[in-house]
Amino acid sequence: MAHIPDGVLSAPVLVTGALVSVGLLTVALRRLDYERLPPAAVLSAAFFVSSLISVPMGPSSVHLLLNGLMGLLLGWTAIPAILVALILQAAFFGFGGLLVLGVNTMNLALPALFCALVLAPWLQRCPPARIPWIGFAAGALGVLFTGLLVALSLGLSGEAFVPAAKVMVLIYPPLALVEGLITATTIGFLWRVAPEMLTREDNPRV
Amino acid sequence: MSDPKPVTRAARRLLLLVTLMTAMPALAHKLKVFAFAEGERIQGSAYFAGGAKATGASILIQDADGHPLASLSPDGDGRFSYRALASIEHVVIARSDDGHRAEWRIAAADLAGAFPVVDRPAEASPPTSGTPDSSVRATSESADQRGSEDKPTRSLQSGDRALDPALVLFIEEAVARQVRPLREQLVAIDDRIRFQDVLGGIGYILGLTGLALWWRCRRTGRRTDRPR
Repeated sequence: MAHIPDGVLSAPVLVTGALVSVGLLTVALRRLDYERLPPAAVLSAAFFVSSLISVPMGPSSVHLLLNGLMGLLLGWTAIPAILVALILQAAFFGFGGLLVLGVNTMNLALPALFCALVLAPWLQRCPPARIPWIGFAAGALGVLFTGLLVALSLGLSGEAFVPAAKVMVLIYPPLALVEGLITATTIGFLWRVAPEMLTREDNPRV
Repeated sequence: MSDPKPVTRAARRLLLLVTLMTAMPALAHKLKVFAFAEGERIQGSAYFAGGAKATGASILIQDADGHPLASLSPDGDGRFSYRALASIEHVVIARSDDGHRAEWRIAAADLAGAFPVVDRPAEASPPTSGTPDSSVRATSESADQRGSEDKPTRSLQSGDRALDPALVLFIEEAVARQVRPLREQLVAIDDRIRFQDVLGGIGYILGLTGLALWWRCRRTGRRTDRPR
């Protein structure tokens, strides 16, 4: 799953992941939107706890990732939120590890960033009835991209890529469906109770 | 916010969602492996912390230096079994195809009972076992290759008296069997995610956010001309 433990990945992959994550984090901290820190804290806490609720599926077990939702709502602020939650998951629960923190952050943050930069602008433009669909797309794409990145990290580390990819193909689409539904529900709910969270004009542009 | 009706409906839906999520079995998804020496057999199981059996995992058994000794695949219950060939430290590694990995070490001492080392045959005056010295030495030298059938002929010294080795082995195995559920329980307790860990993590997140906001306040307090 999304938390790759220590001792699985090869050094080049670890270094690449760490460099990419440090780069992303630097940009994110420069563009840090302080208005978004309270929602970032709430979503970071949700991300932190959601990893505990996992469902056995096939040869592995899955849990919600929420990175699509985080990207959609937080923009670049999602990156420190994900990093902090991952550090705490490694420290408190033993999920993932400290050496692979960079890779794990990259695998979750890049899809979140994709949602922030590609899907979030659509929230301003589309009719309100379509807003849950954007949520669905963000949730599902966040999961599928993360799955792809995890499979790539394993494959580039010399793990047998084909069985890993098979497991990913087996477990990620149902998870993407569930995650999409949950993100759609959340976004639809927020649109009704707090639309200012979605229509914020200060969406950081690249 | 003006129309309370959709809000309450949405809130009810969200509540339902939260209830559904918390009603799911609270399983962590960390792969774990537990192994235990019972006589000369290493028995163990691979599972996800919280209880789900990891049937798809592959088990690799290595010695302390990382030389592979065997590779096994667990049965439908996630259990596996391996016959140790010597009383050395064993490292049991479980891996699943999607990148989970877990490790368990079995100390050489745990296996020592099944492989008695008779290193001082001259000191021992074996009154009960009539084994000649040379054969004892041969047994200890070829302990790696021998199976369990010739074990009763070895002698084990305990204090001054030579106990019947078969009896010693039997006691060791019986104790191991009895202790095993206790050790499994200990590991399970250790694996359990504690509520205070969850609260602690959330507390850290809120604390860090507060710190960042405080930092922001300090900076804007100093330079009020900065809008961002």
